[in-house]
Amino acid sequence: MSRDLRLCRTEEDTIIMVMLSKKVDYPGPIRELVQQLRRLPGIGPRSAERIALWMVQTPDARATDIAAAISQTAARIRPCRQCGFFAEHDLCDVCADPARDRSALCVVERATDVIFLERTGTFSGLYHALGGKLSPLDRIGPEDLKLDGLLERVRRDRPEEVILALGADVEGEATASYVADLLSREGCRVSRLAQGMPAGAGIENADDLTIARAFRGRTAFRP
Amino acid sequence: MTLERLSLRDFRCFARLEAEFHPQVTCIVGRNAIGKTSLLEAIAVLLRLQSPRTGSLQYVIRAGAKGLVVDGFVDRRHLQFYYSAKRRKLALDSVEQKVTTSYLEIARVVYLANSDIDLVRGPAELRRRFLDFLGAQLLANYREILRSYDKALRSRNAYLKMYPSRPREVQAYTKVLLKFGHQLTALRAFLVERLEPEVLRAFAAISDRGEVVCLHYLHGATLDFERALQESAAEEERLRTTVVGPHRDDVQFLLHDQPADLFASEGQQRTLAIALKLAQAKLLATDFSRPPILLLDDVFGELDQTRRNRLLQQLPPASQQIVTTTSLDWLAELPAGRVCRLEEGPAPADRLIVDYPTGSRPVFRPKGPA
Repeated sequence: MSRDLRLCRTEEDTIIMVMLSKKVDYPGPIRELVQQLRRLPGIGPRSAERIALWMVQTPDARATDIAAAISQTAARIRPCRQCGFFAEHDLCDVCADPARDRSALCVVERATDVIFLERTGTFSGLYHALGGKLSPLDRIGPEDLKLDGLLERVRRDRPEEVILALGADVEGEATASYVADLLSREGCRVSRLAQGMPAGAGIENADDLTIARAFRGRTAFRP
Repeated sequence: MTLERLSLRDFRCFARLEAEFHPQVTCIVGRNAIGKTSLLEAIAVLLRLQSPRTGSLQYVIRAGAKGLVVDGFVDRRHLQFYYSAKRRKLALDSVEQKVTTSYLEIARVVYLANSDIDLVRGPAELRRRFLDFLGAQLLANYREILRSYDKALRSRNAYLKMYPSRPREVQAYTKVLLKFGHQLTALRAFLVERLEPEVLRAFAAISDRGEVVCLHYLHGATLDFERALQESAAEEERLRTTVVGPHRDDVQFLLHDQPADLFASEGQQRTLAIALKLAQAKLLATDFSRPPILLLDDVFGELDQTRRNRLLQQLPPASQQIVTTTSLDWLAELPAGRVCRLEEGPAPADRLIVDYPTGSRPVFRPKGPA
């Protein structure tokens, strides 16, 4: 640092050099924490800095609790051996629950989809997460999906119905068609979710395509 | 509907451009290669998020620039569109739009160009693009069905290209392809059916001779799509791509029962091309409460005075027209409006729109009774 300063001749250069050499950042541990926080999704450089400072400055931050929660979660959570949903043990809470209806199996794309279906409280059977959808343009083929596990489960547990709760987009439909084809020889009923009107809303709240689909998929009215 | 203002960044040859338009006729004069066509293309992109000239907007970004911006006001609604290879963003009245539905409801466009003659004698791809450009403006779900079909097709082709072959995966996408293919075919058949009488009427009005025009929708899959796919299995195996389907659709034009691309004269072909665009304008004007914005790219230069006048009379009344030209000879025939020049700006790729200085400004005569 001092050698750089000595090299400078003009006053202007000296000033620049002094500024560069005097540039002070946070101490190493804080910088390291900011770097780590920045890796989190949705956290930019500013937010990372704010969180790091909060942890250092706030007496109530209880950083050790946060650290413990983070490290324990990663260590204790794994995909369920059977269905792929998040689990603490070998099996997830759904698969381990003896009260669940074992005659119905619901196939979803991602493990997080299970949560959306569970929140509705309408389904009491078991799930199977494929871990993706058939999408050759993104280089995802059947070998990347948990299809062997699904076939094995269907053969072993003989569910009466397999419900395909996959998206209505092009890849979702192709995946549904692929899975239905795969299961057609297993002798179980395969169904898929209906498309139609959003519940609890007037017709004016649905977009044209939804109304059109709902219209085509209308059902008999039983008073 | 009226386009009031337009501003561009890094669109084709334009680094930047600001323009204002007359509610009736704006006539833009400029030398060759100054960017008149690109200006009209930019209007189409702003209003419809697609170019009538090219399938992919990637080639519309100015060379060396990262992304393009088109920004403008239609009926005091503010439309903004940013497009780059990685990202596209659109906003309506400064509110970012996740879906295109409400944005695209603001304006509809018909683009007439000298190159329209290629609709009659050029490759089928141009006729499909013509149908798609109209379909997306006329039918609510056209865009979505077209995109879904396209994605299913590309996915299926990706599996057809794989070694060793993947019959099950191909079959899974076959079902999706058939579903969207049937929908797309139905929509296109409907479009052709609605276009035909309007084309016939417009053609007769311009050519003034009792010529009979027919439009034939030629399906990219003869017989029914499903059977055609099954029967083309051997060819698919050999070429490793989907060889039948709506992506091979075409429209044939018959003039007195003869294919127009082979038997019609150059003049008839040109008239037919104009009639197609006029039919498009007519359909859009009929279906919606306000006529579409008309972009006329150098079309008058190739026509004699009689046909020029007839074309002007056939344009939907009260529609805004934005016209480009290299010469001003026929300007007196236009109804009232604004005439301006497109010129180079101070920076190399800047363009300016300048009103004709008073004195050299051509005099308009009010259009007399037809």
